[in-house]
Amino acid sequence: MTEQTSPSPTPPDAIWNIRQPVGRRSLLLAAIGASLGLGIAGYGLFTAQGTRTASVPAEDAALVNNVPLLRADMIAQVRALYTVPYAQATRAQKQRVLDDMIREELYVQRGVEMGLTNDDIDVRQALVQATEGQIAQDATTAKPAEDELQHWYGTHRAKYASEGIMTLHEWLVPRGTDAASAVAALRRGASPGSLHLRTTGRVDDGEEFYFAAEEHLGKPIFTVAQRLPNGAVSDPIPATDGIHILQMIRNIPPVATPYSQARDQVLRDFLADKVARLQEGNKRFLKKRADIKIAADLQ
Amino acid sequence: MTAPWPANAAVLRRLIWGIPLLVLVVAIFAGVLRDGARSAAVLRADPEAILGDPRLRPTALAAGRTVYDGQCAACHGTAGKGDRTLGAPDLTDKDHLYGDGTVSQIEDIARYGIRAGNRRGWNLAVMPAYASRVPDKTEALPPLTPAQVDTLVRFLHSITARVSDPAAVRAGRDAYLKAGCWDCHGRDMGGDPAIGAPSLTDDVWLYGGRPDDIRRSIERGRAGVSPAFVRTLTAAELRAVAVYVASLAPSRTDHK
Repeated sequence: MTEQTSPSPTPPDAIWNIRQPVGRRSLLLAAIGASLGLGIAGYGLFTAQGTRTASVPAEDAALVNNVPLLRADMIAQVRALYTVPYAQATRAQKQRVLDDMIREELYVQRGVEMGLTNDDIDVRQALVQATEGQIAQDATTAKPAEDELQHWYGTHRAKYASEGIMTLHEWLVPRGTDAASAVAALRRGASPGSLHLRTTGRVDDGEEFYFAAEEHLGKPIFTVAQRLPNGAVSDPIPATDGIHILQMIRNIPPVATPYSQARDQVLRDFLADKVARLQEGNKRFLKKRADIKIAADLQ
Repeated sequence: MTAPWPANAAVLRRLIWGIPLLVLVVAIFAGVLRDGARSAAVLRADPEAILGDPRLRPTALAAGRTVYDGQCAACHGTAGKGDRTLGAPDLTDKDHLYGDGTVSQIEDIARYGIRAGNRRGWNLAVMPAYASRVPDKTEALPPLTPAQVDTLVRFLHSITARVSDPAAVRAGRDAYLKAGCWDCHGRDMGGDPAIGAPSLTDDVWLYGGRPDDIRRSIERGRAGVSPAFVRTLTAAELRAVAVYVASLAPSRTDHK
């Protein structure tokens, strides 16, 4: 016959002795852990962005079906509508703005329920623009490094040059006149009048930017003009309406702009290029993950 | 019956470690709660009243400075003096390009940006590049000739630099009206803060006020960008940085 031994009673302060296993302590610690976990989860659930349901978060004026209406937007609208500082707006004015915002949100939500995002052309256009804008927005929040900007400037230097300026005459050689002799005479200093040359009237307004001269003269004649130094007379240029002669008064070619003076434009172009690349990448990604079926006759 | 001394010593040792630890945990928890409460109070307050509230001001400024250093200082400089090579305005003067410098307006700019792709941002106007075939992609504007640009440069420089040149002023005013500059900058040249068109009557310049700078602005155009931080910063951070930026400018007594 064996003697049944009862388990030895746990000393009262054993719970504090980490070296001694105590069931009560294990339960207590598990309970504390569970309570902390629940507390953190609850805090997260009721305060995390987009899931707050217990109360209206401090930054919001209202929640409409859990969609927040920003207090800052309400303040901006009060100012815009009543042209008074927010503090001076009456309670009724604030209430009216808030009511309008709630109404708008309700209609937006209803519109989404009704599928207006698919049907309404304005909504669709706005969504496309907003989605494209989102990409631009993300791209502009990170300022590019200085060496990235300088590299961009280095590879697009011509874009940041000043616009060239030219002042010139364009003569039309009368029929029956030897154009080569007229050119030679002009180069010797003869007056155009004495040679019976007529102006075409296309570049008679004095100084012109290159782009304007190109517009007025047309690309082929402008290309000739661009190469003429100050005071030079061109060779005869055959055109549909006769022979033209260019007489350059002053030609100021484009001058490179130093990086320090073009920095704002460099940043703008760099970001625009980044946005364009991101948008292109986004389009490819969307197409890749989409299930697009095209009718057989259109493939 | 009292416990033997060694057992008491062990409890005492535990208490010596345990109590400070508990105090630390409680203090951290209380600190987090207090910061959260202050941050919420800053968000719920009238934005224009925060700088005048001794309870909210330090909280907002401290948080705002941190955000400013991380997000804004790269362009506006650590002291907020701006950067003319980027067209980043000086935030410490009384001049405001957009709006009139209230906290809520600054917060709006920080949230939705300027020409940053957000449809709720300030995207209404750019300075056209008048020495190009198409000065403005959104509006049909004729380019200017070099002579017209010269006239405008002399005119604007004579006004803003207080150079006495009556002939330049006469010719320039005419060119200013004919070129349509008044459409954005106003007939009185006072600018329009609703679209970010600067005043042309003072000596405050976004890109520099030397004749070469003015010429470049007219010929090549300007369209500075301020990012939209709506997806990057929290509402509390946006409010705090707006308060901080507003605090950099000379104090305002009237927010009309």
